[in-house]
Amino acid sequence: MTPGIPTLLILIPALPLTATIVTAVFGRSALKQNSHRPVVLALLGSFVASLMMLAQVRQESEAKPSQMVGWETSVDLWNWAEVPNALNTPPAAHSASVQGIEHGLPAALPFRIDLTLRADALTSIMLAMVTFISLLVAIYASGYMHGDRGYWRFFSYIGLFVFSMTMLVSASNFVLLYVFWEAVGLCSYLLIGFWYEKPEAAAAGKKAFLVNRIGDFGFALALFLMWTTYGTLNFHDAHGIAGILGQTRLADPELYVGGGVATAICLLLMLGACGKSAQFPLHIWLPDAMEGPTPVSALIHAATMVTAGVYMVTRCTPLFMVSPDAQHVVALVGFVTAAIGGVIAMTQTDLKRVLAYSTISQLGYMFLGLGVATLGGITSGMFHLFTHAFFKALLFLGAGSVMHAMGGVVDMRRFGGLRRLMPTTHWTFLFGCLALAGVIPFAGFWSKDAIIAAVQERAHDEPEFLYLYWGALVVAFLTSVYTFRAFFMTFYGSERVPYEAGPNAHESPTSMTVPLTILAACALVVGAYFERTEGFAEFIKLTPSLAYEVVNSKNVEIVSQSHTLVGAISTLVALTGMGLAAFLYLGDESQVALLTRLLMPLYLLSHGKLFFDQIYNVLFVWPLWTLAQASYWIDRVLIDGLVDLVGRIPPKLAALLRPLQTGMVQFYALAMVWGVVILIFTLLTWPTH
Amino acid sequence: MDESALLENYLIVGALLFGTGLVGFFSRRNMIVMFLSAEMMLQGVSVNLVAWGRYHNDWGGQMLVIFILTVAACEAAIALAVVLTLFHKSGSLDIAIWQRMREENQPAYVDRDVSPDYQPDHQWPKLTPSGIEPKPDLEEITHRAHV
Repeated sequence: MTPGIPTLLILIPALPLTATIVTAVFGRSALKQNSHRPVVLALLGSFVASLMMLAQVRQESEAKPSQMVGWETSVDLWNWAEVPNALNTPPAAHSASVQGIEHGLPAALPFRIDLTLRADALTSIMLAMVTFISLLVAIYASGYMHGDRGYWRFFSYIGLFVFSMTMLVSASNFVLLYVFWEAVGLCSYLLIGFWYEKPEAAAAGKKAFLVNRIGDFGFALALFLMWTTYGTLNFHDAHGIAGILGQTRLADPELYVGGGVATAICLLLMLGACGKSAQFPLHIWLPDAMEGPTPVSALIHAATMVTAGVYMVTRCTPLFMVSPDAQHVVALVGFVTAAIGGVIAMTQTDLKRVLAYSTISQLGYMFLGLGVATLGGITSGMFHLFTHAFFKALLFLGAGSVMHAMGGVVDMRRFGGLRRLMPTTHWTFLFGCLALAGVIPFAGFWSKDAIIAAVQERAHDEPEFLYLYWGALVVAFLTSVYTFRAFFMTFYGSERVPYEAGPNAHESPTSMTVPLTILAACALVVGAYFERTEGFAEFIKLTPSLAYEVVNSKNVEIVSQSHTLVGAISTLVALTGMGLAAFLYLGDESQVALLTRLLMPLYLLSHGKLFFDQIYNVLFVWPLWTLAQASYWIDRVLIDGLVDLVGRIPPKLAALLRPLQTGMVQFYALAMVWGVVILIFTLLTWPTH
Repeated sequence: MDESALLENYLIVGALLFGTGLVGFFSRRNMIVMFLSAEMMLQGVSVNLVAWGRYHNDWGGQMLVIFILTVAACEAAIALAVVLTLFHKSGSLDIAIWQRMREENQPAYVDRDVSPDYQPDHQWPKLTPSGIEPKPDLEEITHRAHV
C-alpha cells in the first residue's frame, strides 16, 4: 500500500531532521567517518517519498474537482499561535469568508498560525528537485569531505538544510515560509563558514548573513503589510477566512487589493527575494560564499537555496498580477542582474567565482521570466530553475572534483589541459557547459529559450520588452563565452598541474564521479524530456497560484512560431559564443592579451567585479563603521567614565579606615574586646523605657 | 555552703582564668604563649558554663563544654600547624614580625623584621602532580587549508 499524500508530506522533511539529530548527537563520538550514512539514507527516503508524492499529485490534479482552481491539499499538524481578535479594523481588502458570498467580515480577525504543510504541483516538483540534488550532493560530499575533522558536523548541517528547504517549499503560511526562509539562511551561514579557522570563510559567512538581513527586513515588512491588508497570512482558505492565495480569492480576482498597496507588497517581497536569490543590488554575497566547501556551493548556492526567491515570487504570482509596476521591476532587476553576472564572469580567474557569477546571471534570467508575468514567462522561469539546478550543481561538483585533484587550487591560470588526467570530470563538465550555454538538445537550451521567447511575446503588447529581449540574447552570448572560456582554460591547452596537487594528481573517487555522471545525464535529458512532453508547464499550471484566471487570460500559446525563430537565434548566439571562446582560448592566448589591451577599461571594470564591493564600502560600510566608532567612543568615554566615577567613591572611603590595619594581632584582639565591652556597657545602661 | 556561694566561687575561678588569658594574649608576643592564653580564656568560659549548668540543674552547660573541648582540640591542631608554618617562614616565633602584613604606608609599631641572613633550615617536600597529562590534539591544531 502506498502512503497517502499527508504521510509523504510529513515524511519528506521529517527524515532529514531525524538524520540531523542522529548525526549531531552521535556523530562526534560514534559515527565519525560514517556520519554520511544516516543523512544519505534519509535523503534517499525523502527522494523516494517525493517521487511518490509527485506521481500522486499528478494523478489527483488531473482528476481535480471541477469547482477548484488548480489543485491543492493541506495537512494541519498543530496550532502554533492564536491571538483572538488581533485585527480590529477591517482590512483594506475584503477578506471574504469562505462560505459566505457576502464580503461582510467578522468584526475582528484572529491572528492564527497553524503548522500547515501543503501539496500542490509547484511544491511537489520543488521537493523532488531539492531531494534529488541533495541526495547526489550528499553522496558526492562523502567522498569530497572524506577525512575532514568536521565530517559529522558537515552532514548534520546538510540534513538541517534539507529539512529547512523542504519545509520552506511545503509551508502553507507566510510566517512559516519566513521561519524556514531564515532557517535556510542560517544553514547557508553555517556552511559558508564551515572552515571557520579561515578568516575569509568567517568573513564571507558574516557578509552573506548581513546582506540577507536587508532582504529579510523587506520580506518581514511585506508580511506586516499583507497582514494589515488581507487580515490573514495563510496561503489556503482555513477556518472560514480566505487565504491570500486560496481558492476563494483566486476564483474572484476582485478580492485582491490593487494600486499602491499591491505594488508596495510586491516590491518588498521582491526585496526579500533579491537578498536570498542574490539579485542586484544584493548579489554581492554570493561570490564570497564560495569560500564554503564545494558541495555546499553546488547544493545551497547554486541549485536550491538561492532559488527560494524565485519560488516565493512564483508562489505569490496572484499578488504580482495586480501590480504591473512590480512586474516591470522584477523583469528589470532580473535582466540587470543577468547582465552584471555575465559581464563579471567574463574575466574572473577563479573557477568557482566564474560559476558563482554565472549562477547570479542565470537567477537573473529566472526573474526576467517571472517579470514577464504571462503564464509562459512564469512557467519558463520555474523551468529554468528546474533545469539550472541540475546543470549548475553538475558544474559546481565538477569544479569541486578539479579542486580535489589540484590540491585545493581554484585559480584557472595555474592549471590546464586536465582532460587526460580527469576524463570523467572532463566530459561531465562539458555536458554542464553545453547545458549552461544553451546548446540544443541540452537542458539549458529549452528553459532559456522559453524565457527569451516569453519576453519576446510580451514585447508584442509592450514594446519596452523588446530591449529586454535583445539584452537577454546578448547575455546568452556572454554566457556561452564565459562558460567555454572556463572549460577551455581548465581542460585544454598544455597540461599544467600546480605543485599543491602533488606528483600523482588523479581522477576523483567513484563516490564523486557517480553523482557527476547522473547529473550529466540529467543535464542532457531533463530539458528535452519535459519540453517534448510539454509536461513541465502543463503540470506547473495546476498550481492554484498559476491556475488563476488573470494569468490564464494572458496565456498566449506556449509554443508558437516565434519560439522556433527564437530557438534558432539563440542557438546561433550560443554557437558563436562557443566559437569565440575556442578561438581565443585554444592554442596560444596571444589574441586574449591583444583583446585585453584593446578593451582595457572594460576589462578592468569586469575584473574588478564592477567595483560593487568598493562602492558599497564607501556608501554603506564606511559611514556605518564611522557611526559605530563614534558610538564606541561615547560608550567608552562618556558612559564608562560616569560608571568609573561611581566606582571611585568606595576606595576613597576605604582609605579613611586604612590606618586601622596595623598588622599587630594584639591590636585586633584589643579592638574586639573593646567592642564587646562597649556593647555590654550600652546594653546595661540603655534606658529601657 | 549554699548553691549561690558555690556558683560564685566557680565564677571567680572562671573570671580569673579568662582575665589571665586575656592579659596574656595582649601582652605576650610569642605565638605559642599567645595560643596558650587563648586556650586559657576558653577554659575560663567552660568553667563558667559548667557552673551555671550546675546552678540551674541543667545538663546543657556541660554538654556544651564537651563540644567546646572537641572543637578546641581541632582548633589547637590547626593553630599549631599555622604557628609552625609561620615559624618556618621567618625563623622566629615573634608575632610582631608578621605586622609586615599591615596596609601599605602604615608605620610599624615595633621595629622588628626577619633578619636578612635568615635561611629556612629545611626544604619541605613538594607534592608530585597526579593524573594523566593531556596530549595536544594535532588534528585540532592543523586544519585543511584548502576549500
